[in-house]
Amino acid sequence: MPATTVAATAAEPIRSPFLVILLAWLLPGAGHFLLGKRGRALLIFASVVLCFLFGVLMRGPLFQPSGGADVLSKLIQYGGFLGDLAAGFPYLLVSFFGYAPPDSASHVSDYGSKLIVAAGLLNILAIVDAYEITTRQKD
Amino acid sequence: MTLNLDHFETSLLLALFSSVVLGIVTKRTTDERVKYGLYCFGCFMAALFGIGWFMRLLHG
Repeated sequence: MPATTVAATAAEPIRSPFLVILLAWLLPGAGHFLLGKRGRALLIFASVVLCFLFGVLMRGPLFQPSGGADVLSKLIQYGGFLGDLAAGFPYLLVSFFGYAPPDSASHVSDYGSKLIVAAGLLNILAIVDAYEITTRQKD
Repeated sequence: MTLNLDHFETSLLLALFSSVVLGIVTKRTTDERVKYGLYCFGCFMAALFGIGWFMRLLHG
């Protein structure tokens, strides 16, 4: 009986995985913060938000979920949109305030758009890490 | 306010942020995280300079 209890406790999530995923997506690092990993939460927050901020300051355009003419363009647009969206509140914030980069494309704004997508992808890594800590797959 | 960073500066930023997050999510102890973060940053730099020089030699 004690062995069963120990096994059940070990498999039991620390927090609701859905809550952790939702918070980790909305506010980068919030999942780790909720799990008591405050140092890691701060570093994740700073990395994701600064990466996004640099992208916006370089006037990087956001990807739109609109299809291009060919499959590759659609893949790039939708993939980029998911990457942007994964950054959480920075993306929602700039979308809410109607962030609009200049119409004329430049190499600087192109680099900026990559930094914005990278911020979202880094946040996905952080979300997965928080999920694994919640479900006790990691310390 | 607008930033006009060039390709190298943007790559440095990307390497820095990516290395921090990769170090955090990959390893278990603080010591391992710092080492892995530095290792990732070094790999980014090696790729940046290596591919940069390769392209320069390729173009002549």
